[in-house]
Amino acid sequence: MSQSQPLLQVEKLSVGYQNKVVLQNLSFNIEKGEFVSLLGPNGAGKTTLLRTLSRHLSPLAGTVYINQADLKTLTQGHLAKTMSIVLTEKVSPPFFRVWDFVALGRYPHTGFLGKLTPADEKVVMDAVKMVNAEDFLFRDINTLSDGERQKILIARALAQEPQTILLDEPTMHLDLKHRIEVMTILQSLCRDKGISVVASLHDVDIAAKISDKVGLVKDGQIIAWGEPEKILSSTSVAALYDFKDASFNRFLGSIEIKGKGNNGSVFVVAGMGSAAILYRILSKHGFSIVTGVLHENDLDFFVADSLGADCFTQPPMEAISPKNVQKAKKRIAESTCVIDTGFPLGSLNHGNFDLLKTALKMGKPVFSMRKNGDFPQLTPSALGVLFLCNDEAHLVTMIKEKLKEIL
Amino acid sequence: MSLVNIELKKKQMIWFFVITFLIILSVLLNIIIGSVHISFSELHQIIVSHDTASTKGFIIWNIRIPRALASVLGGAFLAVSGLLLQVFFRNPIVGPFILGISSGATLMVSFVMLTTLTMGFTFLSPFMTTLAAFVGAYATMMIILSIANRVKSGITLLIVGLMMGYLCHAITSVLIAFAEKEKLKGFVLWQMGSFSGFQWSEIQLMFIAGGIILALIYGLSKPLNAFLLGEEYASSMGVNIRLFRILILLCACALAGMITSMAGPVAFIGLAVPHMVRLCFNTSDNHILIPGCILMGGIITSLCDFIARMAFTPVELPISAITAFFGAPIVLSLLLKRRVTI
Repeated sequence: MSQSQPLLQVEKLSVGYQNKVVLQNLSFNIEKGEFVSLLGPNGAGKTTLLRTLSRHLSPLAGTVYINQADLKTLTQGHLAKTMSIVLTEKVSPPFFRVWDFVALGRYPHTGFLGKLTPADEKVVMDAVKMVNAEDFLFRDINTLSDGERQKILIARALAQEPQTILLDEPTMHLDLKHRIEVMTILQSLCRDKGISVVASLHDVDIAAKISDKVGLVKDGQIIAWGEPEKILSSTSVAALYDFKDASFNRFLGSIEIKGKGNNGSVFVVAGMGSAAILYRILSKHGFSIVTGVLHENDLDFFVADSLGADCFTQPPMEAISPKNVQKAKKRIAESTCVIDTGFPLGSLNHGNFDLLKTALKMGKPVFSMRKNGDFPQLTPSALGVLFLCNDEAHLVTMIKEKLKEIL
Repeated sequence: MSLVNIELKKKQMIWFFVITFLIILSVLLNIIIGSVHISFSELHQIIVSHDTASTKGFIIWNIRIPRALASVLGGAFLAVSGLLLQVFFRNPIVGPFILGISSGATLMVSFVMLTTLTMGFTFLSPFMTTLAAFVGAYATMMIILSIANRVKSGITLLIVGLMMGYLCHAITSVLIAFAEKEKLKGFVLWQMGSFSGFQWSEIQLMFIAGGIILALIYGLSKPLNAFLLGEEYASSMGVNIRLFRILILLCACALAGMITSMAGPVAFIGLAVPHMVRLCFNTSDNHILIPGCILMGGIITSLCDFIARMAFTPVELPISAITAFFGAPIVLSLLLKRRVTI
């Protein structure tokens, strides 16, 4: 048997309001020191679930156990020492300094009049340090930025010395710096302090990288629960949010926005990670992308695939096959222009170089980011036109200009 | 780490000394100065010998001292009541009368004074008025408490209070429309509020009942502080919201109801004094705000009563007019100077 029982056990739980069941038949465990993210579209019931776990709502059916004790049976003081919360609601009472605000978290531990002992003050100071807020210890909380205030709210929850903290969208309204900082703080609460963190989040990519477990909340139930590495795939994330124009890539751990592809089709001859950024720019500017020939372990392939590009692929470590080159040539003939990303040339990707030469022979405009003179063989032949570009942005501007002239 | 707040604590101590000194000063002022001139030596003589027989002794012991004490106590109760409700509703524009307590009292008094219910009881009129106001205030309070049990959000409860107020007002105005002219004047005067005519028995009651309630409220200052973050945070920190809600409303209404029944509706103190105290003491900590409100409410009200009495002697101005006339600009200037939003 494992030496420790789960901190939080949920059995056949249904949550919701008097006349409306929001989520039903939920069963999951949360271990000590585990970081759990709840993901799902707005209105899926993440907040309702959190409010039930924090006993602000009573369950419609089923049971929540904390340390094997039924949540219903706990006294309020005991619960306050076990669990604390961070809500989305903006709290900023007047004339409150950061220190006093965090010190409110000692509530369940202090006596009748709430006077802090030196031990309490140490806990408060530790909580403030944990969220890197020593610098504004005596600022009025109304003068704090959203990011600073969020850290203070976490510090207050921490001062309660709970075993678990529930957070409702802790990164909402935060800039990137604070978003990362808050998530890192939460992660260190789990790793260093052994506190279990349950947070509803909207950043799938950050959640995937930080959480130990994720729960996908949709259509009145938890459709998946487990390690993000297992659970989050392009199909599960697309289903969760009903994506059509974007996709999640589990290898890159990020979301790519698919372009509309109404600006004409371009063929990108790429490889070895030379086109990852270019794909995004092209997609953003509405080009539909055909690309090849890529090795299946190439970064370019992961990005292109997430963006919904048509890819010609070759298994890793194999030379590009003539058959693939033939198919790619057909697509080049259908494309309005061809892009050469300036990929390094090796023994395995000679076929791609062949594609570029063919494009020029077919009379296609070829836009190249290759440094001039690297490959003298690429000098313009009879029909095609070669445009040299400095970088991705320059290239897109050039394509737009030239295509306007040609069409 | 508490050393960092030492400067703030020092300032707060100074404020406490200043307002305690001022309160003694204003009580003395109220006792010495009046339409009948009484010198210091005479006053000393009257106090020491406990002389209630002579005319001046009677004035000091049975008119001026009760009135001075009543205005101090009244102001203190109203201010604390306002503070409680502002914390409870997390709303800065709330005062003790927003829940319809004064309207309920006014309604009952208008029944007594304007209708023929008092037929045959004319000689008991002052007592009847107090009793009616008491019944009205507490009846409103009971209705609101019973609703508070069922209503989830504080804002809804606030609206319930406002609606109660409008209802009572509507009935009162109908009664006024049908009232006889002679009765109307008495009612209008009562409605303006006044600390005159307080009996020693009433002062004793205020001291004992009010003292108990104030002590209870001070004991609630820890959950009151937690309540500043809202009900959800408070309950997650271990506050029993149901019980706490009832206690807060009960205390606030009891204090405000007591004053309204004895002195009539005194406007503005409950709304303005908590703001002044917050700004002076630069804190939201209720451990400090509660004693602060008691002292500050006492000073402001007793000074206002002094002005009401003395500004146009022998005509006595309504106390509510003075409280609003001086209180509103003070709060405004404090707010603008500090550039804070409450």
